[in-house]
This record gives sequence, C-alpha cells and structure tokens, in this order.
Amino acid sequence: MAKLLLIEDDSETAADVRADLRGRGHDVVWAATGPDGARAARDGGWGAIILDRMLPGQDGLSVLQDLRRDGDRTPALVLSALGDVDERIRGLRAGGDDYLAKPFALGELAARIEALLRRPVDSRETVLHVGSLAIDLIAGTGRRGARDLELLPRELKLLEYLMRRPGQIVTRAMLFEEVWNYRFTPKSNLIDVHVGRLRRKLEAAGEPPLIHSVRGTGFTLSPDA
Amino acid sequence: MLDLPRPADLFRSTAIRWALGIALWSALLALAMFAFVYWQTADYLREELAETLRLEVRAAAADPAAAATRVDTWIAMDLHATHYGGLFAPDGARRAGNLGAIPDRLARDGDAYRVSATVDLAGRRLQDEIWAAALELPDGSTVVIAHDTDEIDRVRATTLRALGLGLVPTLALAALGGLLLTSRARRRLAATEAAVAEVMRGDLGKRLPVGPRDDEFDRLTRTVNRMLDEIEHLMGEVRSVGDAVAHDLRTPLTRLRARLERTRSQAHTVAEFREAIDQGLAWIDQTLAMVTAVLRIGEMEDGRRRGAFTRVDLGEVVAVAVEFHAPLAEEKDIDLALTVPPGLHAVHGDRDLCFEAFSNLLDNALKFTPPGGRVAVGLQRTETAIVATVADTGPGLPPGERSQVFRRFYRAEAARRTSGHGLGLSLVAAIADLHGAPVTIAEAAGGGCLVTLRFPPAGADTERSAAR
Repeated sequence: MAKLLLIEDDSETAADVRADLRGRGHDVVWAATGPDGARAARDGGWGAIILDRMLPGQDGLSVLQDLRRDGDRTPALVLSALGDVDERIRGLRAGGDDYLAKPFALGELAARIEALLRRPVDSRETVLHVGSLAIDLIAGTGRRGARDLELLPRELKLLEYLMRRPGQIVTRAMLFEEVWNYRFTPKSNLIDVHVGRLRRKLEAAGEPPLIHSVRGTGFTLSPDA
Repeated sequence: MLDLPRPADLFRSTAIRWALGIALWSALLALAMFAFVYWQTADYLREELAETLRLEVRAAAADPAAAATRVDTWIAMDLHATHYGGLFAPDGARRAGNLGAIPDRLARDGDAYRVSATVDLAGRRLQDEIWAAALELPDGSTVVIAHDTDEIDRVRATTLRALGLGLVPTLALAALGGLLLTSRARRRLAATEAAVAEVMRGDLGKRLPVGPRDDEFDRLTRTVNRMLDEIEHLMGEVRSVGDAVAHDLRTPLTRLRARLERTRSQAHTVAEFREAIDQGLAWIDQTLAMVTAVLRIGEMEDGRRRGAFTRVDLGEVVAVAVEFHAPLAEEKDIDLALTVPPGLHAVHGDRDLCFEAFSNLLDNALKFTPPGGRVAVGLQRTETAIVATVADTGPGLPPGERSQVFRRFYRAEAARRTSGHGLGLSLVAAIADLHGAPVTIAEAAGGGCLVTLRFPPAGADTERSAAR
C-alpha cells in the first residue's frame, strides 16, 4: 500500500513493527541510525516516516527538523520512550504530525499511520453518508435507512468522526483525543461503553452491524451496502 | 581550649577572618579615639597659652615705663626656660628680654601667633619655634611676650607614643577577643558539620545539635532539622512506594510468568494460546499503566508542567468528565448529578490534567458507590476559590484513613480486592498540588466520601493566555 521509512535503533522493536506493518500491506524500509535515516528520508518517495526520538548518531527530532527545513512535508510520526509531558509538544513542534509514547500497541501505531496516510478529511461537508447511514451536522439529526436516530450531541460527534473515516481503524485514544478533545489514557473501558451505546442506537434488531470492534485496537465503521 | 585551626586553614576559616576583622576595627576605633583626644587636648593647651600671652603682653603694654621689668619678670617666672620676651626700641634694638630680635612677620596686634625666632638661652643663641604676642608701645618700641612650643609638641609626642605603645596590645587583645568569640561559633559549626557529615553518610535519623539559646544559629539549626525531618519522611515514603511498586509490579509479572509457563507446557489449541496471550497483554498493560502513573506523579511533583498552564474553564471540564462517566453510572444504576452555576469558572491550569483529576475522582466514586446510590458533582464560586466537590453514597472512609488515601499506592483495606493500582487519588493529589488547590476528604451527608478541591481562581494576569 504505502512505502514507509522506519528509523528506530532497537532492532527487536524495528523487526516487530516492520512485520506488523508488512502484514497490513505496507512496504517498510528500516534505518537504524539518525544519519542513515536522514539519508534515506532525503531520497524521498515515502508515504510516511516513523522515527524514534532518540537515535544513535543524530537525534530523531533534529533529523525531522532538517527534513522540514528542506521543505519535505512527508507525514511523520515520532516515537519516544521519554515520559516527559513536554515531549509530545516538542515532537510536534519539531515537525511531527503525530506522536506515540513507548511502549505502544502495534495496532495503535498502525491505526495512526493509516490516519496519516489518508488525505486530510474535508470537514466542510455537513451532511455525511455511509451506506444506509446519514447524518446532518447542522440539524443535529441522523437516520439509518428510513429510521430516525436519537443521538446525543457527543454521540453525533463520535459518529461524525467515524463517518469521516469509513473503513479506517480508529483507536480508543484517537477517539478520546478527537471526540472528547482531552488527552490522557482513561483507565476504564469507558470509550467502549460509549461506542457500545452508539452501536445499539445504530443497529436495531436485525440490522447489519456498522461499527465493528477491532480486537485489541479500536473500532471501524464500514458501510453496510 | 581555643580550638585553633591548622595554619593551612587559617585564612579560610571564618573564625580567623572574623577575629582579624574585629582586631582591625578595634584598632581603627582606638586610633580615632586618640586623634580626638589629642586634637581636643592640644587645642585646649594652645588656647590657654595664647590667652596667657595675650594678657601678659597687654599688661606689659599698659604701663610702658614698667614694660622692661614686666618682660624680665615674665622670663624670670619661668623655671623651665620656656618663657621668652623682649622689649625692642623702634629701631629694633633690644632693650630687655631674651629674644634676639622681633620675630619676622609677627603682627603687633596683641594676639598670639606661632613664629620662628632667635632666642638667648643659657648664653647661647638658638633658633626656636615659639608662640608670641606683640604690641607696639606709644613711643614706637615693641614689647613681645612669648612661650616656646615644646609643651604642646610634647603633648603630641606623648599622645603618639601612647598610641604606638597601646596599639600593639590593643590589636593583640582585640584579635584574642575575636578568636574567643568566634571559636565558640566555630565549635558549634564543627559540631553541626559533623552531624551533617553523618546525615550525608546515610544516617538520616541524625539531627543537628541545637543550643539552649534561641539565637539565629539555633533557629537556622532548627529549620535544617525540620528539613531533615521532611527528607526522612519523604525517603521513608519513597522506600515504601518502592516496596509498593515492586509488590504491585511483581504480582502481574508473576502471574504472567506462571501463565506463560503453564500455557507452553499444557496448551494444545491455537485458541488456548491466544487466550493466554490476551491475558498476558492485559497484565502487561496493567503494569505499564502503573509505571506511567508513577512517572507522571513524579513529573508533576517537579512542577515543570506549570509552564504550559492556560486559562481553563473548570465548568466545561467537570461537565465533560461527568458526561464521559454517565454511561458507567447508568450501568450501575447510580444517579450521577452535576450542579454547576452558569458562567465561567476560570482557573489557571492544565485542561487535560484537570480532566484526569475529575475523571479519577468520578471513577473512584462510581467504583465504591453501591447500585442505587448517588454521586453528586458540584462547582461553586466563592470569594477566594473555585470549589469543586465530588460526593458519593459509598461506604466512606474512617477519619484516620482520609489523609492516607492521597499517598502513593495507598489502598484502603476494604478496597484491596477491587481493581486499580492505588495511584488514582495520588494522581489527583499531585494534580491538585500542581494547581495550588488544597484537596480534602470529609464525610458526605449520606455517610460516603466528600472530596473537595479548592482551586485558586484565575487572576487577571492569566487573562492573556487564552484557552486552547
């Protein structure tokens, strides 16, 4: 699907990330040091770059900064084992498009890479259709086929986020960041509870499912027809 | 007894420097004192002499016929050959007295001046410094009455000699006094130093010796001791946190290890392996969540995150947190109520952390409230604070445990068997602390817990940092 550059010094992590992303159909090239990664990145043609914050030879953030200075806008995801909360801000400021703290779930990484590889969502559309599902953001209404849906404002937002990314896996953390607009890892399975309630409203008895759980990762909304 | 420092340390020692300083200062004072005494004495003597001379010359001039006799009497009155005088004819020739000539530049106005003159003394002619007063008589002759300056000069010499003789012992005594005074302080410092060294070697129970007086040094020592108490307390806490972390990390890791081992030897189907792996992942996530929480608390305690503070509407944060937890409350049939008066409840803080704090409090309240109970969240604006409350109808906490629950890894005995890593409330406490918001636990009306956070309202100085 896409050509990805992985700049990561830990060979075990790199091997697992590579295998996982290859299993999802991506072509992954691995560079183990900062300078090697910088050279490979400059060759161009990458769908996205995944780079570790701390690399031998040259720091991951400075590799990224150099790329951005040269006008390279390839989507980049920064990985970091540093616990500092400012790390994320620093990573994004250096030109990162997303940030993931180690240790991470492979599914989370894959979902975020997917999101980076997609074209930016056109948020000007206010009436969305996915299969038999339709929502009107201005009126705040939703329909499945001929059936009116009674949606709470947050449920509408949740559905909007999923409908703008049909077929794409979104993780719990992504949902929490984008729908609730807060950033932290909720302990309980509250996101699942919220999605479950939405699902019950969307999928009345006998109707085919729209929202599918992706084991260990998150959810995806796929058209029913 | 004096506890003198080794020569190498001599000038590095505060005691010695103080002693020298005191000596120097005493010497300067003595010098100033001498100068003042000398100046006053010399002045007095000079004025006394001048007055005598003025009177004498006037008396001599008052009776021109007896002037010569008067001059001779003045000279004869003197036992130490310090009186001079002379009566000179208009042409300058001496008629009487022991002055060789009228001293040059001596004004004949009857006032006393210091001049140089030739005098006849014991048959010799000498040049001498004298104090003299002169007046012109009606017949044109001049009468001069004078006194040598030796007496005043001697006063100066004596004073200077006394100063010279006195200065050395004064310096020595002052230095000794300084040493005596400072050696006491030195001894105390040495004792303190020894105690500090012991603390540094790891004996955290050691305290600095406190003297009976309540002087600055004692107060400082007491402050340091209080600091050591705090450090000892914190070290104890770190140790117990370390133990708790080790325990709480070992538990899931031990389970994981056992499960992996058992699965390897006993599992036969892919489904069995998958199940073991899923359980293992869950235990690893639990472990990681705990490590993350510990790191986050540490990070918050060092206060760096305050740099990213903005203006946060607590009303919005609380409302979203309540809405976020509503499904959980519904599932447990708990009435989750929110009371927020209209308007902005602005505090200076970190939006995500505030959310996390309320989320943890709600999580906790919902966990301990039995089905059919009630969890009430409220926000109030008072003069000095924005007060957030979370009240539940759970079992509550005995008063003794109320302050304990904010400690890291503390889990009330009753809660040992529920899930959670015991860090939720510690995180709340760390977040509250970061925001300068005191957090307390009291008994709620229904017997449950009432957690209160008092946030300082955002001041005018935070207006500029807009909410993100």
